[in-house]
Amino acid sequence: MLLLAAASLVAFVLLLYMVSPLISPKPLALPGAHVVVTGGSSGIGKCIAIECYKQGAFITLVARNEDKLLQAKKEIEKHSINDKQVVLCISVDVSQDYSQVENVIKQAQEKLGPVDMLVNCAGMSLAGKFEDLEVSTFEVKPYNVYVTVAYPPDTDTPGFAKENQTKPLETRLISETTSVCKPEQVAKQIVKDAVQGNFNSSIGSDGYMLSSLTCGMAPVTSITEGLQQVVTMGLFRTIALFYLGSFDSIVRRCMMQKAKSETVDKTA
Amino acid sequence: MLLLAAASLVAFVLLLYMVSPLISPKPLALPGAHVVVTGGSSGIGKCIAIECYKQGAFITLVARNEDKLLQAKKEIEKHSINDKQVVLCISVDVSQDYSQVENVIKQAQEKLGPVDMLVNCAGMSLAGKFEDLEVSTFERLMSVNYLGSVYPSRAVIATMKERRVGRVVFVSSQAGQLGLFGYTAYSSSKFAIRGLAEALQMEVKPYNVYVTVAYPPDTDTPGFAKENQTKPLETRLISETTSVCKPEQVAKQIVKDAVVVTMGLFRTIALFYLGSFDSIVRRCMMQKAKSETVDKTA
Repeated sequence: MLLLAAASLVAFVLLLYMVSPLISPKPLALPGAHVVVTGGSSGIGKCIAIECYKQGAFITLVARNEDKLLQAKKEIEKHSINDKQVVLCISVDVSQDYSQVENVIKQAQEKLGPVDMLVNCAGMSLAGKFEDLEVSTFEVKPYNVYVTVAYPPDTDTPGFAKENQTKPLETRLISETTSVCKPEQVAKQIVKDAVQGNFNSSIGSDGYMLSSLTCGMAPVTSITEGLQQVVTMGLFRTIALFYLGSFDSIVRRCMMQKAKSETVDKTA
Repeated sequence: MLLLAAASLVAFVLLLYMVSPLISPKPLALPGAHVVVTGGSSGIGKCIAIECYKQGAFITLVARNEDKLLQAKKEIEKHSINDKQVVLCISVDVSQDYSQVENVIKQAQEKLGPVDMLVNCAGMSLAGKFEDLEVSTFERLMSVNYLGSVYPSRAVIATMKERRVGRVVFVSSQAGQLGLFGYTAYSSSKFAIRGLAEALQMEVKPYNVYVTVAYPPDTDTPGFAKENQTKPLETRLISETTSVCKPEQVAKQIVKDAVVVTMGLFRTIALFYLGSFDSIVRRCMMQKAKSETVDKTA
C-alpha cells in the first residue's frame, strides 16, 4: 500500500518534469535580438555581451569610459557569427540623470530597433566596516516580459580587484569559503537564464543552495523549480545555519586577535 | 525502532526549546534606557515610543515637523510611570545630511546619555506602476527609507560597540520580503534595509549589539492613508487579501522582539499567495484592454 503511494508520487513528479517545459515561458530567440548591456565595457557585463553576440544578437554597450567601450567593442566583434551583426557603444553614467539614460535608449532603438533584452550590469562594490565606510558610499508577466535577477558570487573582474583593495580582513576570510568564479562562466549562466525567462539566476552549487534558500516569496518560472525549493528548503536552511555559525566565529576570532594585539601594543 | 527514533527526536527538540533562552542574548532592560525613535511623531514610530515609555524608557523623538513632534510628546507623556522620565524632541530630516544626523544624536546623548536602542522608523510609501512613478520617487524613497536608516545607525553604532550593549531596530515592511505590483520603488528601498541589517548584524554581534528588522503588514497610520491616495487598483486588490493592522499591535510586537532578540532577525511567516496575485493582475490587464477596445469602437 505504502509502496503504491510512493510509486505514484514518483510517477507524478516525473510527469511534472516532462510537462514543465510546456508551461514555461517561450525562450527568447537571441539571433537578431537587440541586447543592451549596461556596465558592458568590462567584467561580467562584457562577458555577457560576448555570450549574446556569439549567439547572434545585436549589442548596445553602455558604460562611462569611451576608451574602455571601444576596446570592449573590438574584443566582442571577434566573436561575430555573420556579417550583419553590430556592436553599438554609447557613453553615459546610468546613475546620474534619468533623462540622459532615456536619451541613450532612444538613440540605441533608433539604430538597432526596439530593445529585446536589457542587462543591468553596471555596478560597483566597496567593502568596509559599517562605521568605516564613507557616508557618500551609501545613495511584466502578463505582458510576456520576464525579469531575471542574477546573484553572482565573487567573480574575477576589475571591479572585484578594486573591492579587494579596501576589504576588511573578516570579509576576506568569510569570502574564502567559496571560490572565485571566472566572468565567462557567470555570463554564460546569466544569458541562459535570461533567455529562458527564469527569475532567479545563480552560479554553481553554492549559488543554487543560496538561491533556493533565499527564494522567499520570489516567483517561480517552472513547476520543477518550485518543487525543488520546497523539498530542499529544510536541508539548505540547516546547512546555512552552520555557515552562519562559522562566519560568526571568524568575526569573533578577529575581534579577539585585535584586542590582544592592542594590549600588546599598550604594554610595549 | 522508528518509534524510538521519533521519540528521541521529539525529546531533543523539547530540550532545545528549554535551553534556547539560556543561550539567547540577555534582554535589554527598558526602565531607564535611552531609546531614540526616528519618525517618532506619528504612526508606528509614535506607538513604539509610547510602548517603550510605558516600560520606563527615556525617549528621544526625531522627525521633521516640530508641531507634530510636540503633539506626539504630549501624547506620550500621558503614559509615564514615574517622575524622572523624559521625552526629548529634535527636528531634523534624517535623509538629508549625515553630519546633521550625527549632531542630533550627539545632542540627544548629552541630554539623556548614550543611546541604548535606536528605532529607525522614518519612512514613506508611494505605490504606482513602474512606468507611471516619477523617476524622482525612486530616489526619494531610497533616500528616506534606506539612507534615512543608515545615517542614524551610523551615528550610534560606535558608542554601542564600545559599551558592548545596544539594539538597532529597522522597520522594513512585508513589501521588503515580497515584491508586489505597484511597489517597484517602495519594495526596493525596504529590501535594501534587510541587506543592511543582515550585514550589520554580522559585524556587531560579538559586541553584544543586536539588530532587529521588523516587517509590518499594512498598518492603519497616516502614512498608509497617504499611500492609498495613489495606489493602483491591482495593488489595492492584492493588499485586501490581508487585513490592516493597528499600529499599537505592531509596535508591541516590534518592541518585544527588539528587547528579547530571538537570535537574529524578526521573521514573519508569509503564506503563498502568488498564484492569486498573478491572476488578479492578469484580470485587471484584460479588463483594461477590453475597456480600451470599447473606447476605440465607441
